[in-house]
Amino acid sequence: MDTILSTLVIFWALITISYVVIQKGLGAFGQVVRGMSLFMLEKALGPGADLVEGRKGSGAKVWIIQGVVWLFLSSTLTFIGLWLAHDPIALHTLTAWGYHPVSSELFYAGKFAALFGCVGMFIIGSGLHILPKLLEVDLASEKNAVLTSFAWTLSIIILIIGSQNHFILGLDVILIGTAVNLLVSTAIIANQLLTKAASNVVLAAPGWLIIFGLIGNPIAIIATFASGAYDTGLGQWLVYHLSGATFFFSSIAGISLYSASFGSGNALWSRTLAGVVILGTIFTINPLGSVDPIMAVDMLGLTSADLVVSHQDNVLGSFLMALAAVPIIALSANILITLRGTDAFVENPDSAGIPEINFGAWMLLPLGIGALFVQTDTLSGTNELTGISNIIDLLIIWTILIPLSLGGALQVLPSASGRYPLSQNRARLSFWLLSGGAVLGLILTMMSDIADIALKNALVEDPSALSHSLRKAGSVIFYGTVLGAIFHSTNIFSGLYRGEKISSATTPSSTTFAPSSYPLTTATTVRRILASGAVLDTAVVPTLESNVRGNPTSLNEEE
Amino acid sequence: MSSDDSSKIGQFLQGEKEPSSSWVILVIGVVVTLSFLVIYNILYPGQDLPVISSLLPMFEGVFDSGIWFFILGAMIGAFAILGTILTEATIE
Repeated sequence: MDTILSTLVIFWALITISYVVIQKGLGAFGQVVRGMSLFMLEKALGPGADLVEGRKGSGAKVWIIQGVVWLFLSSTLTFIGLWLAHDPIALHTLTAWGYHPVSSELFYAGKFAALFGCVGMFIIGSGLHILPKLLEVDLASEKNAVLTSFAWTLSIIILIIGSQNHFILGLDVILIGTAVNLLVSTAIIANQLLTKAASNVVLAAPGWLIIFGLIGNPIAIIATFASGAYDTGLGQWLVYHLSGATFFFSSIAGISLYSASFGSGNALWSRTLAGVVILGTIFTINPLGSVDPIMAVDMLGLTSADLVVSHQDNVLGSFLMALAAVPIIALSANILITLRGTDAFVENPDSAGIPEINFGAWMLLPLGIGALFVQTDTLSGTNELTGISNIIDLLIIWTILIPLSLGGALQVLPSASGRYPLSQNRARLSFWLLSGGAVLGLILTMMSDIADIALKNALVEDPSALSHSLRKAGSVIFYGTVLGAIFHSTNIFSGLYRGEKISSATTPSSTTFAPSSYPLTTATTVRRILASGAVLDTAVVPTLESNVRGNPTSLNEEE
Repeated sequence: MSSDDSSKIGQFLQGEKEPSSSWVILVIGVVVTLSFLVIYNILYPGQDLPVISSLLPMFEGVFDSGIWFFILGAMIGAFAILGTILTEATIE
């Protein structure tokens, strides 16, 4: 049987069983398991549980705040990685301290910080708020949610250390980081499932996407080991993409759909498309991500194997990856139209988080197609586009995963903390720096990569000056993301203490481009007027109409 | 002297707003510093600046790449984040 199909059949079967168990419960064992899980989440922690108060919303808040700090660290690590790509000896003085910084290792550390530190903490933090809201109950254990956030941060620190030095004192550092990470994941899954079990409300599609995102990652790992594909290159490639499709894509889809509706005040545009995203996430292979599954290989403590693909696996893998365009398009369309409601403009464009969600939804389609080309190129063994795999991966992280998860977190945080960010203007400035730096910086770097591929194909040995200049410009422009992360961080932290309380009146729009007057030519709705960018101080001026029949303009009026 | 006036003696008072003229003093300070450097170079051509010239060699080889300026900015940002957390948590 094919490696891909045998693994996927186990994955699909386990997901289906999990769904049935979550829906129907465990019958007579349910009460016992529920009581034991609650005991493990709080009482079993002993004095540790008394360290935190466990106030409502504290779990989501702590996870999101730590995610913001990781946003800054990941952008800094990625920036240094981009710089060292064109100037490898820029940090040679650090060798005096025994540290030899290499571009690829800093990219690797940056990806751990971005994916698990920033995006992962935003996903879990937002999920801890959204799921109880959708289920109309309180989170099973706020105390556990708060405590586990620190253990998760510790696991990221270990993973980053491991990315620079895989073995310390003979110990596999990344494997230790993964163990801590999985332990926290298990606690979060138990916490969320107990919350689900306490409710009788029918869960909306975003909630299911968040649940499948949480349970999908361990199930993907179990399926790969159960099928015996873990020691093959194809099995390792598959587990990397299944984990990415569930924990990252599915969770982010759930958070984005919820936040798009919550932030804009519009109902979710299509429940059917949300359902398509759920099914498409599980029953296809998501092409987003790198062609090299080294991150999954290292985290699972496996030995990297060469990618050997049979004809059947190639056909099936390519088909299922092409099929993943359906959930990607469905998600993008659903978010964008929900944000706009019945107008041509985005509702509440000044609200922190909305621009990020809008931007991430726009980038889904082009990068989804780009990633599909790169992945099928690798799966078919052509390997002509391998040179741009890393930059496509970075583009996906910085223009899809981070904007969508950050946007969702910015929408969720006021509800969890009780206060808005300090300044909407600074939030918008941070958005432009973050998104502009990422798009321009990484696209220039991609142009440099493409130039290098072309020269390599033409057997030109001399390095290109143009390629070097593009790479240098790209790294400098990417620094905008570092600045954006700093501004976002200070704005959010100040907002926690001095931001406007959410119980107060609605925040008026603070845009500097608000029109002073709105010409009213025909009957219209208040929604349309606000969607045009008008604020409360904008004067609505009725434009008078005349019933006098029009005539040619007289050129010599005075005569 | 009334009792209200006497109660102000010994108190430290600080205004909430910064007078715009205080920036003039700072600008004058910068201009004077630059003028001093120019005059020093004219009076003692080729002579190293005292103290500073003996400190600078310590950083040779460290700041020989532009990346250090960006890292310096990131470090300032890190301290800005840390400072924001500390000051916001302790402010009255």
